[in-house]
Amino acid sequence: MSSPTRVHAREEEPTPVRLQLTLFVSGASPTSTRAVRRLRDLCDRHFPSGYDLEIVDIYQQPEVVVSRGVLAVPTLFKELPLPVRVLIGDFTDEPRVLAALGLSTSKDS
Amino acid sequence: MVTSNDVHDPGDRSGLELPKSPTGITGFDEVSKGGLPTGRPTLVSGPPGAGKSLFALQFLVYGATRCAEPGVFLSFEGSRDKLASDVRGLGIDLDALEQEGRLLVDAQSMAREAVATGEFNLEALMVRMAFAVDKIGAKRVAIDSLESLFAAFSSRPALVRSELLRLFSWLEDRGLTAVITGERAEDTLIRHGMEEFLSDCVVLLDHRVVEEVATRRLRILKYRGSTHGRNEYPFLIGPDGLEVLPITSLGLYQRVNSERLSTGIAGLDEMLGGLGVFRGSSVLVSGTSGTGKTTIGASFASAACQRGERVLFFSFEESQSEIMRNMASVSLDLAGWVDRGLLYFHCERPTTQGLEDHLATMRRLVEAIVPTLVVIDPVSSLSRGTSKGDVSAMLTRQLYYLKSAGITAVMTSLTEGGNDLEHTELSISSLVDTWLLAITMQTSGERNRGLYVLKSRGMAHSNQIREFLLSSQGVSLVPVYMGPDGVLTGSARAAAEAVEADLGLGAEHESSQLAEAMELRRKAIETRVASMWADFEAEESLTARQITSSKKREQALRAARLEQGRQRTVKPEDGP
Repeated sequence: MSSPTRVHAREEEPTPVRLQLTLFVSGASPTSTRAVRRLRDLCDRHFPSGYDLEIVDIYQQPEVVVSRGVLAVPTLFKELPLPVRVLIGDFTDEPRVLAALGLSTSKDS
Repeated sequence: MVTSNDVHDPGDRSGLELPKSPTGITGFDEVSKGGLPTGRPTLVSGPPGAGKSLFALQFLVYGATRCAEPGVFLSFEGSRDKLASDVRGLGIDLDALEQEGRLLVDAQSMAREAVATGEFNLEALMVRMAFAVDKIGAKRVAIDSLESLFAAFSSRPALVRSELLRLFSWLEDRGLTAVITGERAEDTLIRHGMEEFLSDCVVLLDHRVVEEVATRRLRILKYRGSTHGRNEYPFLIGPDGLEVLPITSLGLYQRVNSERLSTGIAGLDEMLGGLGVFRGSSVLVSGTSGTGKTTIGASFASAACQRGERVLFFSFEESQSEIMRNMASVSLDLAGWVDRGLLYFHCERPTTQGLEDHLATMRRLVEAIVPTLVVIDPVSSLSRGTSKGDVSAMLTRQLYYLKSAGITAVMTSLTEGGNDLEHTELSISSLVDTWLLAITMQTSGERNRGLYVLKSRGMAHSNQIREFLLSSQGVSLVPVYMGPDGVLTGSARAAAEAVEADLGLGAEHESSQLAEAMELRRKAIETRVASMWADFEAEESLTARQITSSKKREQALRAARLEQGRQRTVKPEDGP
């Protein structure tokens, strides 16, 4: 198995898709800032090759909140690679976050 | 049973009433005396499929279209598209309302699975509501339903509860009139301990099955600061959405029509002032089994078709082909009218659907076919599987509806054996304009049909009981035979009439016979007189001859005596 760090697809691996995340938080509340910090930290450690994280403040972009059907804060959408996964909570349960982001298989190997 | 005074609370202090927002739901605004409390949340509770979402949506649509109060519909029960297509059938165009900025629908399904990774709150719920309300300047909101929200965050009921309370108090602060739907639990109005926070106004919707027929009920359980109807009211989901049916909400402002319609039975028109019934009136034909109720209904139908009018015939006991065959036997050609597109049948077993659905079907068909006459045969079978109070309340509404549309209604009603004839089980007799009672008369070993007009508003009508004859020549009403022996029907009437006819015929015959006989007799007498004269003359001449000869003999005798006297002279001459 190739390590996620080797992004150059020399072996016949499925083309790795860059991780794309959308995080809904409520302004600058302590819970939200803590969640953002925890997510960044986690992704930096597990996705060193890089990822895209878009942060949406529910008060600033309510129309996006409506269109994405967000109720809980924080809510994280793993947009890519497919399938889309939805995570709610402040990421304290790290194994579940990693599993939802698709890192559980690499841990097993 | 719905009574006329059930919405009039003795403690009613009008003037001190809360401001209310009408829902536009037919009947509900009457029952709630104006609608839902303005600026407060109302809980609409009931089992799945009871019509809660529809209640909420109708409330919003009415506000948006009639009260200039834009509305927000926040739904967790499914996608917006599904909702839009669900309500399109009820004539609600969500897209148009949204484009005009009068309604905002924020709907999503809560089926998506989310992974919980730690602490969270539901701040976005509030953000969405506030966003929607501010966007269109909403005055009314609906949240549908609490149940799906609790289900989506089932691990954190306390959190959902506290977020909802925050939302409700925000709604109240903003003066928004809200409808919140929720499911009813076994022993509480609503699950999850929400009832104590939603106690301003609680409306219960129920959808229960009685004798295998589904019936819908609505009840206002609580209305803080206001009086309201306390009964359970039947309601239906018809083509215009929810409709609550309180008998009290009937207005009496239908158009009056003085045009008269033939009943199709000559003798019956005669009994009804010679002209028949009023157009747009309601006619009830009641009677026991086999009295010819359906036939009278069919006669009305046939007469209307003859005038070129359209007729809608609802049959709850016989199929179209059965009715057509049976009526053909009394020379009512219903099949011909069906072929010409003037007569429409709708035949259905009363138990196939709930009462409210039957009435909704009727209304839909009436709107589609636009008849001038509707026959319902029989209304009494509608009461199967539901309480009689419901049926009378709904029939009242139906009659009112037909009347206001100027449609003549002919209903038949079966009176169960042993019951008072002049009494309908459905208590609709007071609502009908013309009530015909079909009866059977049992005399001299026969059972004959009779018919009389029990009442007919606004016209002179006969007080007679007439005999109702069904034959292959058709339907007719004949006056019963009133003779010295009383009222006779059937063969007794026929016999009495025959005797009378015989007598009449005999007398006429006899007089001519008598005249002839007298003539003959006279001739006979004349003949006899002539022969007697002849006899007499013969006798006379004979007698004359005898007299002559006798005189001659006497003269001869006298001459002889004189001769003797002369010869004896001693003896004096003596007389004879």
